[in-house]
Amino acid sequence: MKYKYYRKFKNFIFALLVVFSALSVIIPLFMILKFVFTQGMNSLSLDFFTKLPKPVGETGGGMKHAILGTIYIVLLGAAMAIPIGVSCGIYLSEFRKSKLAKTLRLCVDLMAGIPSIVIGIFTYLMIVVPLKSFSALAGGIALGIIMLPIIIKTSEEILKLVPAHIREAGLALGLPRWKVILFIILKGEISNLLTGIILSISRASGETAPLLFTAFGNMYLSYELKEPMASLPVQIYTYAISPFKDWQQQAWAGAFVLVTIILTMNLFARFVLSRLNDKKGN
Amino acid sequence: MENGKIILEAKNLEAWFGDFHAVKGISVPYYEKTINAIIGPSGCGKSTYLRCLNRIHEEIEGASVSGEVLLEGKNIYDRNIDVVDVRRQIGMVFQKPNPFPSMSIMDNVTIGLKLQGVSKKSKLFDAAEHCLRKAALWDEVKDKLDNLGTSLSGGQQQRLCIARALAVNPPVLLMDEPTSALDPIATAKIEELMNELKRDYTVIIVTHNMQQAARISDYTSFFIYGNLIEHGLSSEVFTNPKDKQTEDYISGRFG
Repeated sequence: MKYKYYRKFKNFIFALLVVFSALSVIIPLFMILKFVFTQGMNSLSLDFFTKLPKPVGETGGGMKHAILGTIYIVLLGAAMAIPIGVSCGIYLSEFRKSKLAKTLRLCVDLMAGIPSIVIGIFTYLMIVVPLKSFSALAGGIALGIIMLPIIIKTSEEILKLVPAHIREAGLALGLPRWKVILFIILKGEISNLLTGIILSISRASGETAPLLFTAFGNMYLSYELKEPMASLPVQIYTYAISPFKDWQQQAWAGAFVLVTIILTMNLFARFVLSRLNDKKGN
Repeated sequence: MENGKIILEAKNLEAWFGDFHAVKGISVPYYEKTINAIIGPSGCGKSTYLRCLNRIHEEIEGASVSGEVLLEGKNIYDRNIDVVDVRRQIGMVFQKPNPFPSMSIMDNVTIGLKLQGVSKKSKLFDAAEHCLRKAALWDEVKDKLDNLGTSLSGGQQQRLCIARALAVNPPVLLMDEPTSALDPIATAKIEELMNELKRDYTVIIVTHNMQQAARISDYTSFFIYGNLIEHGLSSEVFTNPKDKQTEDYISGRFG
């Protein structure tokens, strides 16, 4: 009898520890969100989305250029990272044991661990210096490099899970290997792949450090590939460290918009796409 | 029946997984429009042998083959033969029903043709109807061709896979224990279907089920440890086996 209570007590302590750990993750997240939302909502207005910044001293203005700039640079990065990343994922899952695959896999793991500021400096030296200008192009490349390892890893994992007999069934129909990979295996996993890609995009859209040295920032609206371009993270950074009260307020609004964009992408990937996956499962 | 045309013939076929010698010097002729069963205890190289006949065996890492497989007189392992052409001639149905995920019933059947470049909708539809009818599945799915292939029951999925294999019109069909994952009713349906298929196709089927082999096949091969022990007309192999080991196996004394 005595041992029974002791056992139950140990169980209870363990359950308490686990629940406490879970809460220690959930609570800070909601505190951050609440903080950003309350602060951001105060200075958010329609102008924020439709107007450019006003000179210091004038009130009003918005971050239209930075919102559009972020979308532009992120899409640029994604356009470069998705084809290369998914192709590498295919390579890793199809030729698992080749020497090149093993090397690539190691490189991808290492690449994922490189601090984003280093990627920024690297892109600065490789792109900005030769082109003699900060540019949206350089920003896109830097974000692309950040997305790459995530896209490669997730697509490899997803494609690895496709059972061998599906591939064999395709080959047994007398189809060339590349068609089996593209039109049967990849097509079957498209929603899973999209989930991975969206998560990598959302991760990259919040990056500030790699953009500081590359896209740099701009107070005006620009769609020029070879010119500096504003982005939300950099704009938030610049405004937040400025001494002006209304710039700081605008930084909060920017943070709010950025967090909303990223949350929406994450939730979309999680709920909408994963529901598609469930449907095909049964 | 002995006088039929030989469509496929294994000659001294050997197969390995790395160092493991799985199939040892097998020579068997297959006559056109017959059903040929391969029986034997688990792990005796039946499936590996079958997978050598359409060169799927070589898809596994470390696998190798020697010997010849003649398809209408031409060795499919010849260097100037395209493996894709071989597999177009020799279709395959697998042990586990494996319709392509996230593809409709219709797409599952027509994907082989589509990826070979057939794009005319009416032609694809006709082919789908033809093959699903041949696989005795048409009446069950004709109203839900857009549903996912994976939404069907196990037995239906296996018939869908048969229809998929038939769609590219291979004269030879390999079946690797196609009913081992199915219940008796679904099994009966597929056996019935195989009798129909015999009219147009040559079927080579690996089975664990000796009654099944006796019921449906014209010829039977008995394998142990990668060796062919006996091959002959099923009526003779099952009633009057020449080899002691065959007799022991079919009478249930081992295996």
